[in-house]
Amino acid sequence: MVGNSKIKVTLLYLLAFTVMLVMVFPYIYMVLGSLSPWDQVDRRIIPTELTFRSYEWLFFGGSDVIARPWLRAFFNSVFVTLASTILMLVSALMVGYSLAKLKFKGSRFINNVILFQMFYPAVILLIPLFLIVRYFGMYDTYWAMILPKAVNLWAIFMYTNFFRGLPDELLEAAKIDGASQWKILWRIVLPMSKSVTTIIFLFLFMERWVELLWDMLVVNSENMLTLNVLLAQMFGPYGGYPGPMYAASVLLTLPILVLFIIFSKNFKDGMQFVLK
Amino acid sequence: MFASPYLVYSLIFFLFPLLWATYLAFTNWNLISPDYEFVGVQNFVQAFFSESVRAAFFVTYKFLAMFVPIAVIGALCLALIISALPRFKGLFSVAFFLPYLASGVASAIVVNGILSYNSPFNIWLRSTFGLDINWLGSPVLAALIIALMMAWKFMGYYALLFVAGLESIPKDVYEAARMDGAVGWKKFWYVTIPMLYPSFYTVTILAVGLMFGIFTEPYVLTGGGPDLATHTWQLEIYQQAFERLHAGYGTSIAVINSIVTFASILVFRKILEVWGAKHGWE
Repeated sequence: MVGNSKIKVTLLYLLAFTVMLVMVFPYIYMVLGSLSPWDQVDRRIIPTELTFRSYEWLFFGGSDVIARPWLRAFFNSVFVTLASTILMLVSALMVGYSLAKLKFKGSRFINNVILFQMFYPAVILLIPLFLIVRYFGMYDTYWAMILPKAVNLWAIFMYTNFFRGLPDELLEAAKIDGASQWKILWRIVLPMSKSVTTIIFLFLFMERWVELLWDMLVVNSENMLTLNVLLAQMFGPYGGYPGPMYAASVLLTLPILVLFIIFSKNFKDGMQFVLK
Repeated sequence: MFASPYLVYSLIFFLFPLLWATYLAFTNWNLISPDYEFVGVQNFVQAFFSESVRAAFFVTYKFLAMFVPIAVIGALCLALIISALPRFKGLFSVAFFLPYLASGVASAIVVNGILSYNSPFNIWLRSTFGLDINWLGSPVLAALIIALMMAWKFMGYYALLFVAGLESIPKDVYEAARMDGAVGWKKFWYVTIPMLYPSFYTVTILAVGLMFGIFTEPYVLTGGGPDLATHTWQLEIYQQAFERLHAGYGTSIAVINSIVTFASILVFRKILEVWGAKHGWE
């Protein structure tokens, strides 16, 4: 009986491990492809030797083609994503806190409107949003990528739910001690919501980082493109250079992977709340 | 006062564009010229008879039929594996979640490479089975590949929802079921599945909703082809409004898209609710 269950557990781990390999295989393929000699890319899964030629091409250009501004695109991605994510996080903190704890006139109404907006298909707004951005002269600037993505309804919704669960007594006590609402939010509420903030930050960052359609629409000049957009546009004309395309994909995937692994400790706690 | 960022944002980036969109949908504006006309329902009539709009409509349900079963059953299997593991649950759930981090652009590039004519995979197929398959050139296969890419990306995320559902099943339910003689498969069908119904509901609705917003994967990988086999709503709206500059017409397609999405999700919710109620699940 004991032996039987031991075999079962071993088989289970074997299964789990196999599934894990399947799930991470595309990543492995991408990394190996980016390090392969150019005549082996997409020809051998495991290259006979490793080379950084694809990365060199990406950063310094090659003899036969002009290098595209990949580093600049990487910087654009980091800047736009960080700015947008931080704005979404801060605004969601403020709005969520006010909806959950500062009972003001119309807060219930706002709550309902937010729910409505969350389920409203965003695609209908795409064209008018583009026109507004153009009208304000934000076309082809960072603002166009940041401002329309400075508030996130899902994040507000998450924070509102989380803050509802925080004890009122603590906030009351701080208020009696003369702390302003602003101070309470930063000094008391934020430290208490660490794990939820990490998860919300991660999700917002991920979503913003891989945005394609919007960033493609509102930006035109080459040195304004985000990495995701540049890669999508270069993939057609430079499809004959798969090595550098894989290298750029690695460049696109790595930051998010690193960020995720750094925060994965908080992942389980935070997820438990988000999934509720 | 703290709610002001939301109010300002909603006014500029939600309410105003919403009204504008409603108006634009009834015009023939071309995105550039200063004058345009009010054309009534002409855009909607045109969309109704348009081949590419019809393609987008049906392609979405084709994706749905492929993606939803794969993603939901796949995620359930992942969740069952995770919850059955005695140790390293966290490690495996994080590992299964990793595909969610991938940009659609990067995964499209990888899939394109794996399926390219001289890839090890295709060479192996040719030499072992004599199969010469043009993966992205076949309408059915191209759609299936995109559905699989989406499933790969979202399965780990959905699995976490199922794991949360599995963990919320009280131990004494299993205990009571064991007393009544429900073990093994019986336990799975008559205890686990009914108790998982709420997670099942959430995951299915999320998966259905997702299918109405596909853009990146077909844009990069197939461009909507072959023969409009992977032409999604988003692709159609993008092409009409920003490539052919039919802003008014594009907006009216977006309006149709919203209505179709809304109605479809409502229908699916209803089906799931009726189905759940019939079995006495909640």
